[in-house]
Amino acid sequence: MCALDELNPREISVLLRGEPEKIAAWAGQWSARRLALHIAVIIVGAGFYGAAMGWWRDPQQALFTAIKFPLIILFTTGGNALLNAMLAPLLGLNLPFRQSFSALLMSFVIAAAILGAFSPLMAFLVWNAPSTSPEAVSGATYSFIKLTNVAAIAFAGTVGNARLFQLLARLGGRRAVAFRVLFAWLAGNLFLGSQLSWILRPFIGSPSLPVEFFRATALRGNFYENVFHSLLQIFQQFD
Amino acid sequence: MNDQNPIPPQIPPQLPPVMPASGPRSLGDDPAERIAIPNVIVAIESILRQPRRVIFQLRQPGAGRLIAAMIFVSVVCSLIYGVVAGTFSGGTQLWAAPVKIAAGLMISALICLPSLYIFTCLGGSQARLVEVSGLLAGLLMLMTILLVGFAPVAWIFSQSTESLAWMGTLHLIFWFIAICFGLRFLEAGFSHSNAKSLAGFRTWVVIFMLVALQMTTALRPILGTSKTFLTTEKKFFLSHWSDCLKSSDNESKSRSRD
Repeated sequence: MCALDELNPREISVLLRGEPEKIAAWAGQWSARRLALHIAVIIVGAGFYGAAMGWWRDPQQALFTAIKFPLIILFTTGGNALLNAMLAPLLGLNLPFRQSFSALLMSFVIAAAILGAFSPLMAFLVWNAPSTSPEAVSGATYSFIKLTNVAAIAFAGTVGNARLFQLLARLGGRRAVAFRVLFAWLAGNLFLGSQLSWILRPFIGSPSLPVEFFRATALRGNFYENVFHSLLQIFQQFD
Repeated sequence: MNDQNPIPPQIPPQLPPVMPASGPRSLGDDPAERIAIPNVIVAIESILRQPRRVIFQLRQPGAGRLIAAMIFVSVVCSLIYGVVAGTFSGGTQLWAAPVKIAAGLMISALICLPSLYIFTCLGGSQARLVEVSGLLAGLLMLMTILLVGFAPVAWIFSQSTESLAWMGTLHLIFWFIAICFGLRFLEAGFSHSNAKSLAGFRTWVVIFMLVALQMTTALRPILGTSKTFLTTEKKFFLSHWSDCLKSSDNESKSRSRD
């Protein structure tokens, strides 16, 4: 069967349903066209969601976020691919590099497809929200938009990881091993992903700051330093 | 080998099952469900009397025609109901209200279609996008048909009251009853698509209702009057309802003082 026959956008619904036999078979066989389809879903799904997220601040911010959001997913997957492939056998799941990469990419495809489906809802929410102004930022609107984004992204991420866990359990045969590998992969992805989002900020865009692709301070400091300084400031208030 | 057993095996008496072992009757078992739906009149009759026939036909090749027919009926029925809603204020609202109600309903469905498909897939349903679109079109058709049924009652009230809050509440009650029947049809459709869980579908129901309610605020005024077709002020529907109730309360207080 030629590779073109294997390419089918309906594969995304198979991923969403979490059909274990088919997904395990896909993870085992390398197909450049399937890889292209999965990357395309990430670009389109996360891109549309990013556009809806940035639209509240400015149409230009929508364009920037539409480019940056899929980049975070792709950079995180690519940047940790080697580490994740090494961690899996060390933790008891003997997966080849391609299989571990495919499995992780498929979990991001699921998350991106869910986010893409939520993007019209997010756009509708933003369209109904009062326009950006210092009052809106300090008020409930900004908080509501931020929380809705967090809820949507958390839901998409949770479903993606739940499906990844099912796949790892099937490939490894034991749930305990699958849980260990998933936990290690999540920790690595969270560590890199947080820093990438810090560098590529802003996403929603604060109305008090200009619309930019990168902040001027993008490469100054890191996410964890910032968290540490914020914690320090909170504790200094009690002294 | 001695196969002959002098004592025949005791077979317990078979009791008829309370529910069929295979769960609900499978689609197409009844020959009447397999008859094609040739036009909009039959589509309306089928969704009211034989919803399983509509669900079965949505799975057949060429379901696009049926979906188009259901969308057409939904648009016509929402326009009719919109005219009745517009009679409350009269004037430009006689054409603005139907346009807003029909457009609002279609846009709400379009916004929510991708998430409906995703949630049904997550629930393990085997329904294709065409089938999901068809079920959503069925929901809209059933809902708007019921709204047309409520239209005479709404018209009587719109001619006999001046309270915007009261009329708004009445339309919301009718909308709620109609959407409940529509959602029942949608759920019946998904129960025949091998869905393992309806939790995602129920989450979507909440999202759809919120979007539809917000649409009534985004496209306001639908019942009242305004100098412009659409208002530029952005509000969430709960805040809009609260403002409407407050202004209505103030009006009734000033009237009672007179």
